[in-house]
Amino acid sequence: MPDELTDQELPLLETLDHLLDRGVVIAGEAVISIGDVDLLYLGLNIVLANVDAIMRTARKP
Amino acid sequence: MRGVVIGAHLERDDLEAPAFAIPIGDLFLSAFPIAPDQPLGDRDLLIRVAAVRAQLLDRATFIAIRYGFAVTSPEEAHAKVASQIERWKRLLEEHRGRVEMTLKVPASLPSAHPNRADFSTGASYLKALHTAVRAAGADPEFRLLVEKELIPLAHQHRWIPRDEKSLELALLIDRRNVAGMLAAGEKLRGSGAAFLLSGPWPLEVFADDHE
Repeated sequence: MPDELTDQELPLLETLDHLLDRGVVIAGEAVISIGDVDLLYLGLNIVLANVDAIMRTARKP
Repeated sequence: MRGVVIGAHLERDDLEAPAFAIPIGDLFLSAFPIAPDQPLGDRDLLIRVAAVRAQLLDRATFIAIRYGFAVTSPEEAHAKVASQIERWKRLLEEHRGRVEMTLKVPASLPSAHPNRADFSTGASYLKALHTAVRAAGADPEFRLLVEKELIPLAHQHRWIPRDEKSLELALLIDRRNVAGMLAAGEKLRGSGAAFLLSGPWPLEVFADDHE
């Protein structure tokens, strides 16, 4: 494996990073798959919540 | 009809094929058509959607929807985003002529990744993880240079810790300033610091409540 990304690879990776990791999250709508197999379903409204907010919520009676 | 949703747009004319429009109140979602059994994790699909996303941004600014939201009917789409429409409309009107740029930089003093075995509860581990990410900071001299060269060109900016080893500066700028921002980025090269300046991007950080 090469040590550094090529000039061609970097824009593609950056573009995919923005596609997959930026923007408005619509609750509970991500399925991570490889090939034809769905590996993981994420409830993103929970996963992406601020940890401090989770802690505050957890402490409520 | 099944489509993977790309973004929320102010005008129907902001969309073009191969994306199709899904009306939601006063706005329109753009979606890329996919087969009912199409896995969303398909590499070629990801690349095609990314290309359409860039094509749509050339037409007009839109609010990016994170990849993974697929719908099978306009009713389903409307139901899932109804609570956001009013806010999105306000953002789209306010930032109509603007785009985002992103500066990624390594943390000057990367913090250690917490070890799950050192924590008795998942909550305390999550808290430590959060703290470690928040502790990541840019080199002060480089940050001063960024504040001098890039931030004056932006309407809004936001430093965002991404993980224990890196952080990101999101910049909201006028479309006409993209070339100027890239030129300003060239001035950072003299510092010798590692960074990646990229864009233009649709409204991502500045449309997301979670950031």
